[in-house]
Amino acid sequence: MDFPKYAPYNPNTRDAVPYIRSPMKILMLGWEYPPHIAGGLGTACKGLTSALSAQGVDIHFVVPQLFGREEARHMVLSDASRRVSPGGQQPRGVGPAPLPIPTTRIPAFLSPYGNPRQFKEAVAAVTHREVASLSPALRNDPVARALIDGEVYGIDLVSALEETETVLSADNVAHERYSKDLFEEVERFTLQVISQFAGETFDVIHAHDWMTFPAAVALSERTGKPLIVHVHSLEQDRSGLFAHPQITEIERFGTRHADKVIAVSYFTKRSVERHHGVSPSRVLVVHNGVYPREMVTDYREKKTWPEHVVAFVGRVTFQKGPEYFVEMASKVIPHLPDVLFVIAGTGDMLPSIMGRVKELGLTKNFMFPGFVQGEELEEIFSVADIYVMPSVSEPFGITALEAVSFDTPIIISKQSGVAEVIEHALKVDFWDVDRMADLIINALVHPELRHDLARMAREEVKQLHWDAAALKTIDIYQDVSPHAAV
Amino acid sequence: MPAVCFYFQVHQPYRLRRYSYFDVEKATTYFDENLNRSIMEGVATRCYLPTNERLLRMLREHDGAFKIAFSISGTAIEQMREYAPEALESFRALAETGHVEFLGETYYHSLASLYNREEFESQVLLHAECVEREFGQRPRVFRNTELIYNDEIGQRAGELGFRGVLAEGVSDVLGWRSPHFVYRVPGATTKMLLRSFKLSDDIAFRFTHRDSNDSQSLTPDRFATSLHALSGNADVVGLFLDYETFGEHHRKETGILDFLEALPRHTILQREWKFLTPSEAIRLFSPVSELSFPRTTSWADTERDVSAWCGNMMQRAALGEVYNTDKLYAGCDLSAPDMALARETWRRLQTSDHFYYMSTKGDGDGVVHRYFSPFESPYDAFVAYMNVLKDINARCRRVVAERDRRPASNE
Repeated sequence: MDFPKYAPYNPNTRDAVPYIRSPMKILMLGWEYPPHIAGGLGTACKGLTSALSAQGVDIHFVVPQLFGREEARHMVLSDASRRVSPGGQQPRGVGPAPLPIPTTRIPAFLSPYGNPRQFKEAVAAVTHREVASLSPALRNDPVARALIDGEVYGIDLVSALEETETVLSADNVAHERYSKDLFEEVERFTLQVISQFAGETFDVIHAHDWMTFPAAVALSERTGKPLIVHVHSLEQDRSGLFAHPQITEIERFGTRHADKVIAVSYFTKRSVERHHGVSPSRVLVVHNGVYPREMVTDYREKKTWPEHVVAFVGRVTFQKGPEYFVEMASKVIPHLPDVLFVIAGTGDMLPSIMGRVKELGLTKNFMFPGFVQGEELEEIFSVADIYVMPSVSEPFGITALEAVSFDTPIIISKQSGVAEVIEHALKVDFWDVDRMADLIINALVHPELRHDLARMAREEVKQLHWDAAALKTIDIYQDVSPHAAV
Repeated sequence: MPAVCFYFQVHQPYRLRRYSYFDVEKATTYFDENLNRSIMEGVATRCYLPTNERLLRMLREHDGAFKIAFSISGTAIEQMREYAPEALESFRALAETGHVEFLGETYYHSLASLYNREEFESQVLLHAECVEREFGQRPRVFRNTELIYNDEIGQRAGELGFRGVLAEGVSDVLGWRSPHFVYRVPGATTKMLLRSFKLSDDIAFRFTHRDSNDSQSLTPDRFATSLHALSGNADVVGLFLDYETFGEHHRKETGILDFLEALPRHTILQREWKFLTPSEAIRLFSPVSELSFPRTTSWADTERDVSAWCGNMMQRAALGEVYNTDKLYAGCDLSAPDMALARETWRRLQTSDHFYYMSTKGDGDGVVHRYFSPFESPYDAFVAYMNVLKDINARCRRVVAERDRRPASNE
């Protein structure tokens, strides 16, 4: 037995006080887990579960699919068929033995942030090209990459493409088909979760974002266990006027049925209340955290980067405001011609963004490395003079905190949750391109401004560790399940 | 016979608007005129006019037994003249009683004392002339911006003809010594008056709504009791305050004006205490000793040093930049169309408040910095400042370049 565990706090107290007397068991439903992520959701889930586990919370985290490279030693990580991650804990007691990851299906194109339209486009983009001539951006697209790196699923590229082609050959019905598929996937997940976990012992169900809400609500009704839904973003944020009505409906369904809703910011709390009519007392804010970095590799020394780098890291979608980044750049470049603007990420707006850059004649000032993670991402964060997050509507914006942890000053839109927790950032309205350019020029010209920003923000980020988020979450668990700790 | 020396700082900066990088070499509206006007009008209505009225009544009532001193910055005088002439008039009325002393400082309430000797002296003289013109008296005692002081500033004040200088009674400088005596600048005859920070801060920060039932609230009686406790162990107690304490930081409804009015009448003037102006105090009392300041002090923030204005890299960059460009303005032909405006703007940019807004301090001091700042953040303050500086420097360089070209073409 490795519990009861004790809170890592009060190191001065001789007899550590257990925060939880016996482990509370949480069934957590998610959609993605690092390293296979499309956005901040997976990163947030990893951070939160690690910190919860350090507080002695027992977690079983269920995602629709595993890719085989997930590392989650702090909890049980399985897919909806209970196949566990080789990198995670094994379930206690009697349970199915870990199975090799199946290799027969097309990987889930269903990014948690994709809607059916984007899904269709992603598939179309892959199949309409020869693989060898994939653009660098597409080569880094998680979807395309999943296809190229056949090893992920153990399938070879040709058969994957063949299968996709077959599917796409019924051209006219493609849209309908894939539109249905996204929701079919959600439905399949729901059915699997119920069949596999309805008999499980746990205290609370904790579901992350809309794709898991139907499963979570159904399971809660079946088992009578309290339900917490965790809103990392809303369809309204992601797609604005083009919000998919069915997704919005699922979000509303989930937030209304939950005992408590966790919002990642006050910004999101207000959205949940406004769009879904949830009573303010049921929506609680738990800000995301970040693990501060001990060491920052100086990539600048190793590689040849231009003197000034301004970075955008995130999905290239309506929500993230990439077009404002480009317009801002077009105002900066006449004054500082040698700045390199990096757009790291992919998304449905990437082609139009690239087109706009070309139209403005700024190709040589731009770099599109596509979706990056790991060392590549670290390199971009650390060589950037300033990180820009011009989001139109950003529930939180965890990459801004990551940038800070690399001592990179940040400029963020006022329409973001992270603006609530970081005082020492440059803050603008996402549409105020002139202001953004004004601030960025000054930040590039005056290293003192960058220095003070980074130094002060770093101090703030130290207070934003995941442990604080975990403690708040545990309070919410105990609130919905008062006897859980017995 | 111990004395109280009341002195009030009156200052308003020219606040910058959010001048953008894209305004550089295009727009010359650097200052937020609407904001400056509304702040001046507001402070005049809430503080200058009502408090001056009370003081005038008190000065007449006590007929020479009650005295006060002001230092009014040049930028405050200018803005009063423009936005609240009746306030300036009311200060003149106070001056005419003959019981009010006006102290010297830098016209622009600047940090020139720390960065540029020539500019410092020039601004001090400019201010002295302005005070003489407005209030009919030449300042004889010097009070530097926000009580910023070190030995060198004391020396220079003496060299400029001042007989006395004011400073914060900082504990780590004073050590075992009391702030309630007159001291002397080392190696000079210039005398020093120190701020009694405990008693001054009682009024500035610890005054709360008057409630006679609350044993913690500051009443005239309680204040007089702590003052009278110093009898026999004090020559002069310096109560140096921001004038806006009366009516602005503490609104009239708190009873702060009644508190002020009651102080001499019922309390301080009993038991042999009296009021003196700074000039009278340094004439009457002999210095007990020299007092050397090993560091630069001020009355700002918990550190009582200059970190409120020079604490972070942005502030030092801005200060370095503004005081580096003085050569551009020295010896320039001020009749050139852009030059006069550029130089005047350059001088207004030296006002300490601009750097105060760039402070990134947290906690209690940070709250005070933010209370005064018209900007959303210290970074916004820095950006607007550097943009304006860039603009005026560019204009100035153009004029200089033209001047340098002209004689060559004539030959």
